[in-house]
Amino acid sequence: MAIALERSVVVTQRLKRHRLWRRVGHALTYLGLAAALVFFLGPFFWIVTTSLKGNEDFFAFPPVWIPVEPSLKHYAALFTRSSGARYFTNSMVLSTLSMIAALVVSLPTAYSIARWRFGGGLLSIFLLVLRMLPAIALIIPIYIVYKFLGMTNNYLGLVVVYTVLYIPFAVWLLVGFLRDFPVEIEEAAMIDGCSRLRALVQVIVPIIAPGMAVVALFAFIATWNEFLFAIVLTGIETKTMMVLVTSFTSGGTDMFYGEASASVVLGVLPAFAVAFMLQRYLVKGLALGGTKG
Amino acid sequence: MRMAALALKRKQWEPFAFASPSLVLIGFVILFPLAYSFYLSFQNFDLSVGSDYEFVGAKNYTEAIFRDPRFLGSVWNTAVIIAPSLALELLLGLGIAMLLGRVLHGRPIITALLAIPAMVSPVMAAMAWRMMYGVKYGAINNLGRQLGILDVYFDWFSSPVISIVAVVLVEVWHNTPFMMLVLLAGLQSIPQELYDAARVDGANPWQSFWSVTLPLLKFTMMVGVMIRLIDLTKLFGLIFVLTFGGPGGSTETVAFTTYLMGFKDFRMSYAAALSYVIVGGVLILTLVFFWMQRVREARAA
Repeated sequence: MAIALERSVVVTQRLKRHRLWRRVGHALTYLGLAAALVFFLGPFFWIVTTSLKGNEDFFAFPPVWIPVEPSLKHYAALFTRSSGARYFTNSMVLSTLSMIAALVVSLPTAYSIARWRFGGGLLSIFLLVLRMLPAIALIIPIYIVYKFLGMTNNYLGLVVVYTVLYIPFAVWLLVGFLRDFPVEIEEAAMIDGCSRLRALVQVIVPIIAPGMAVVALFAFIATWNEFLFAIVLTGIETKTMMVLVTSFTSGGTDMFYGEASASVVLGVLPAFAVAFMLQRYLVKGLALGGTKG
Repeated sequence: MRMAALALKRKQWEPFAFASPSLVLIGFVILFPLAYSFYLSFQNFDLSVGSDYEFVGAKNYTEAIFRDPRFLGSVWNTAVIIAPSLALELLLGLGIAMLLGRVLHGRPIITALLAIPAMVSPVMAAMAWRMMYGVKYGAINNLGRQLGILDVYFDWFSSPVISIVAVVLVEVWHNTPFMMLVLLAGLQSIPQELYDAARVDGANPWQSFWSVTLPLLKFTMMVGVMIRLIDLTKLFGLIFVLTFGGPGGSTETVAFTTYLMGFKDFRMSYAAALSYVIVGGVLILTLVFFWMQRVREARAA
């Protein structure tokens, strides 16, 4: 009896200790993640608050972390003095056009690979190799050719480049979505007298629309984020947000903090939105270079 | 049966017709420029001198590989930035992914929040950090002074070593989330039964990490490191905004040097040759990586 009692005491003690350790482990887990969140989101927090500060808050010591009277005047200055509205619109238009063009061009190619194994696997490998190609190897010849054709400082020139740079990624993702698509539905449509192209557009596209939206959003962000082609091929009228932001670096390390931070906030906004919309696809998209131009 | 029916209906030209729009575009915008650039790299086309040029053989290549201290320096700089960045991204990414694996509530939202830096453009990331490194108004100096760690306004870009540390920190901030996402996916594909079996055999958490997690995660880690390695050789926007290659060229990467060669000095032929040297270098790096992997696997088997 006494022995049994002792044993049960030992067991409950061990259980208690186990539970304690588990609790400590959980606390440490959340503590670690909290530290990671502060590190990875802290800069965004600081940029947003800085963009809302008044000029006197920049100089204040002790520093003002959260502005008492937030104001939007830096955004107003960015939109008027630095023509930010124009460059924001430029980025929007360029990204939207390239996104649509990339989808339209890539879909039939992806279909050809998914249904007929066009290129016998070689084409897919070729597209993967293109993704590894550094942009710096393309910008030099493209700049010379565009200069010759008078296509620098021109929307069309940039849209063409962005569309083509995005084809490999779009095809890779779309092939995956098309392979999952049941052939029977498509066949039924074709037996009813539908041409293959019409079957693709009217039967397949509506069903794989969610997948295409994923590709489209990644394409949008990739174009939005692209910098090397933008800085070489754009002029004063066609600048994008990425090029505008770099213009604030001229003042040394202490520059126009107000407008610079406001432009960063606007420049990262689409990325925030897309990160939440694409949670499930982030790994695949980023691995294939979805956000790189 | 179904496949046969499809094959019967299929017209010979259809696969090609469907694939051709993007192939034609790739030909015009990627393949032709690459070929033209290759041709150019054997000329002495220099826009600052004039638009005439002539064939000079492999002179551009020999200059790049043997006689150009600036380019060779940039190769070294790139390596110095890549090595610590890769190591830190892998370690931090693995650590955070394992923490996320233990979370019971709110994992999707925490993961999405942590992933945001990877979606942001390098230019924007660099701009935010450049302002945070700011001497008088930057968050880092201000925080340091408020906490009493720094007693003077510190210039983070005054010396080569500290500049490289600053660049690596931004790069780690920017791309650790990618590594985290890849490794989290890898961790979640490891069957729970293996951990249960390890526990039954009396393994402590540390042992099960070494003998279950790491071996099964090796392939995922390899893929993640490979992707980051290739992308890091293209490091450009971050440098452009953060340091513009300074101080004294100590953070000039290969892509940045090539850009300056082409669009500041306008030595187009030489820049074209440099870009081909970079492509060749990355290709060799990739092949060596795969070869090492195969040798190790062969030895293990």
